[in-house]
Amino acid sequence: MTTATTRTLISSTQLNRRGGKIAYRIILTLVIVVFTLVFIGPMYFLFADGLKSTGEAIATPPTLYPHHLHPATYRQAFDRMDVARLLWNTLYYAFGALAFQLVFDVAAAYSLSKLRPVLGNVIFFLMLATLMIPATVLVVPQYVTVADLPILHVNLIGTPEAIWLPSVANAFNIFLLKRFFDSIPADYIDAARIDGASRLAILRRIVLPISRPIIGVVSIFGLVAVWKDFLWPLLVEYGYSPTRESLNVGIWQASATTPQDLIIAASAMAAIPTIVFFLIFQRNIMAGLTAGGIRG
Amino acid sequence: MAGVATLRKVQARPQASRQLAAGRWSQKIRRNVSAHGFLIGAVLCFTFFSWYPIVREVIMSFQKAVFGGGYAWTGFTNYVTIFHDPTFWQAWRNTLEFTLLALVIGYAVPFCVAVLLNELRHARGYLRILVYLPVMLPPASALLLFAYFYNAQYGLFDHILRILHLPTSQWVFQPGTGFISTAMVSVVIASTWMNMGGATLIYLAALQNIPGELYEAAELDGAGLFSRIRHITIPQTRLILLMLLMLQVVATMQMFVESFVLTNGGGGVGNNTQSVVMLIYQYAFALSGASNYNSASALGVVLMLVLAVFSGGFLWVTRERG
Amino acid sequence: MSRQTLRAVAAVAAVAGLGLAASACSSSGSSNASSGGKVTVSIDCAPTAANNPVQHKEWVTDVATFEKANPKITIQSVYNYPCEVPATFTAMLRAGTEPDIFYTYFTDLPQVLIAGQAADITPYVNSTTVPTLSDIVPGAMRAVTAGKTIYGLPTSNYTQGLIYNRTLFARAGLNPSQPPTTWAQVETDAAKIAKLGHGIYGYGDYSAGNTGGWHFSSYMDAMGGTMVNTTSAPPTAAFDNTNAVAVLDALHTMRFTEHAMSPTQGLTWGSLQQQMAENKLGMYIAAPDDIYNVIVPTDKGNVNNFAMGPLPSANGTPAGSLGGGNTYIFAKHDTPAQIKAGIKFIVFEDLTPGLGQFNFARIKADGQPVGFPEPELFDGTAGTKINSLRTKYATVNTSYFAPYVNANEADLGEPLDAQAVYKTLDPVMLAVLTEPSANISALLKTAAANVDTILANSPG
Repeated sequence: MTTATTRTLISSTQLNRRGGKIAYRIILTLVIVVFTLVFIGPMYFLFADGLKSTGEAIATPPTLYPHHLHPATYRQAFDRMDVARLLWNTLYYAFGALAFQLVFDVAAAYSLSKLRPVLGNVIFFLMLATLMIPATVLVVPQYVTVADLPILHVNLIGTPEAIWLPSVANAFNIFLLKRFFDSIPADYIDAARIDGASRLAILRRIVLPISRPIIGVVSIFGLVAVWKDFLWPLLVEYGYSPTRESLNVGIWQASATTPQDLIIAASAMAAIPTIVFFLIFQRNIMAGLTAGGIRG
Repeated sequence: MAGVATLRKVQARPQASRQLAAGRWSQKIRRNVSAHGFLIGAVLCFTFFSWYPIVREVIMSFQKAVFGGGYAWTGFTNYVTIFHDPTFWQAWRNTLEFTLLALVIGYAVPFCVAVLLNELRHARGYLRILVYLPVMLPPASALLLFAYFYNAQYGLFDHILRILHLPTSQWVFQPGTGFISTAMVSVVIASTWMNMGGATLIYLAALQNIPGELYEAAELDGAGLFSRIRHITIPQTRLILLMLLMLQVVATMQMFVESFVLTNGGGGVGNNTQSVVMLIYQYAFALSGASNYNSASALGVVLMLVLAVFSGGFLWVTRERG
Repeated sequence: MSRQTLRAVAAVAAVAGLGLAASACSSSGSSNASSGGKVTVSIDCAPTAANNPVQHKEWVTDVATFEKANPKITIQSVYNYPCEVPATFTAMLRAGTEPDIFYTYFTDLPQVLIAGQAADITPYVNSTTVPTLSDIVPGAMRAVTAGKTIYGLPTSNYTQGLIYNRTLFARAGLNPSQPPTTWAQVETDAAKIAKLGHGIYGYGDYSAGNTGGWHFSSYMDAMGGTMVNTTSAPPTAAFDNTNAVAVLDALHTMRFTEHAMSPTQGLTWGSLQQQMAENKLGMYIAAPDDIYNVIVPTDKGNVNNFAMGPLPSANGTPAGSLGGGNTYIFAKHDTPAQIKAGIKFIVFEDLTPGLGQFNFARIKADGQPVGFPEPELFDGTAGTKINSLRTKYATVNTSYFAPYVNANEADLGEPLDAQAVYKTLDPVMLAVLTEPSANISALLKTAAANVDTILANSPG
């Protein structure tokens, strides 16, 4: 928080002058109004238009608020598009992916940072190299691979593992984690080693508790990535069984054959959990974002 | 004298030193095995889902499908085919157009917004939440909402234009393949709304780390507002700005879901919003009988190379000198 | 290594192993074939409760009836809607994750064969296992046969006509029993309907998701042309001609001169039906099943509002119509027992007059409309039987469909590499419907060149 001594572009003294104060208030009001319109405005329509009947939703010209409240639309959308199921699927995929990432990526970063295995640098370099090759580019061979894993000959299409396992191959998270672990002073670790603690115990009892901020950041990135993914779940989880679809895929797939009002209502319902989650955890999320950013 | 004594001591106990070495060696092995044990999970996932697919993509780009489900080598045929496809060049033009527009709208705007927010002393928390809220929406929901707004018949935006007696637009379906097309701008607007919150907050955090004394000093030296921004704000946040610039360009070059959902998978009028990744998707999955995993792989390899060259070049140009 | 490290590594390996094992056990798609004489067969395109509640109920009843009569067979239904999405269909074939019996369009067999995913069921198909086999129209059997090998069974076919809204016709002062038959008449009627305002438009068409090109092909068939010239090697595009220009010109005029079409374009399958159900659209072309499969059950339209005429043509008599349909193909991984069981079920559900999809008595009792001229899968005895059943239990006014039925459009099938051709023509439709100054001949030329390339490179 800015104190009297920290200042930004425009100093507080300038703002406290009479002219400055007026200008400041005008700009502040303008910003609040415009931002509310731009960012909350569409959300208003998201929720309000879901309350319209089909006829009113596609009426020309469009109405700014529902002239006839039609809450049945929400109920219909919920049932017909099975929004609850879609939400559950997506949460399942997201938290499952998070669990896998926390176990495997944290272990990997810990190993690369503190345990320094032979060839560790080579492996880390190879992981970083994949940062230059983003996932979308690899969609086709990844799909073919997931359909028939080499050596094991297992078909993962339609299984949650098809989303969970590839999400572990996240070089950015490993990079962030390793960098954080690197900054843990070696004395902590050495002291514990001398006391005879095993490497796993060190990870569990010393490294992890200190690393809460970075684990928070990595968790948020991980969850959001799965939540927002579209192309990959479209290919591996759509198949022909809608009960496995993620939120994005389910809503999009229904959009062609469902009336406008139901789509909007379903989208609104899909947005609610995220908004609630965000409002509850917004401090942590913001802190995580900015923490990850500042250290850059 | 001491040296001779040491020598004799060492010579007298070769067994012990070898035992010591052996002990250290087995310790080293133990350390490595356990270290690799921690690594193995991630390494396996990388192997199956990252490194192997990269290799596989390159291989597939040199193959073609044969009747009955197998593959045969075919040299550079796939590359020749895609280079001869006019949609290929169109998709690259469109992607470049999107990337550049996204730089102007989706990169400059969040920074300016962050600078603005940083100056305000009130309502900071509220404004930060506002800006980040769209990021939390599922993309399909946000894009379908925008498609609804962009609808030429009953959409909100054209309604507003009509009220203001301005000419209406078909937005995402506006014909026109010029370099700045209404269609692509519409896609960028939707994309920016959905994504700018994250960048804005990261910039905001970086801005808050700029020492106030620098501004103090500059103002005393008589520097104006813009001068202060140019000479203090931007250089101080240089690292973040560059990092996000690179990330943004790489991300926007892979744009898919925005134009896919907004144009019903069609790519717009005259394919004017079809991105490269959309073309990969089409080659692989949208042509039914003529679908071609190998052309898609070839295009994927081309995209890989372009991104690698860009990232490499960018990092080299912006490397810390000295 | 220390015990604790060992434990750690073991834990990590266990999680990984569990993950993979769970996935191996839960792999979707092919069901476990048989054990102890019992056979399980998975089949998709079962109607979903959410979108087609009545058909869903009927399907479930049929499966129960069938399983009771055949205690050794278990039917595993895969519910999906729509039944096929071309993008994921391709992916499914490549991955080999299709169910034991999977739904395809008529045009899909080449793609399935190229992917090597179809089973040869010729030895199991004869007049004993499929009693109505000889009555199935040749066009439908062609869709499941390559050379002399049979890979599946057709379940429905269609030709297209002009679906129009009688209510809107009446409101616009047009005779609801006299649909337009030439493009000139379509333009006039559409203009009159659009004058009703309030978001009501006279004509509608698709231009995305391959459906724009699909409809374009049908228009061409009605005008007397074809899409692909199969006599040349390689085949070439055959639609760059005056017929195409006439059709596209009519659409363009309706959109921009008469404002008889909505400014919202880039539509794909599903949107026009909604508008028709809401009485916001005057006409569009489709097969009769749009009414009883989509507009009435899913979009809640009133079945008495809709009627059908023939496809628009130059002189009022369509030369033919695009003819498509659906089949069930047997997957390569099926066992002989599964194939036999599957054939039995398909015959029960889809190929017997009076049963399954032809159980008109039940359909009527369930409050669904009966009397539509689709599918026309059978000639001969089976065909006659079905038609008499239809007439007996008809709930709709069959005179509404007389103009379409009487036009007796020839079923001209679908072009080679249909989906790819349709995809190439989507942009043409889209441009014509969104660009006021669209250059129709240039668009057709480009599309023809693109189709030539596709046909030349096609592996099938």
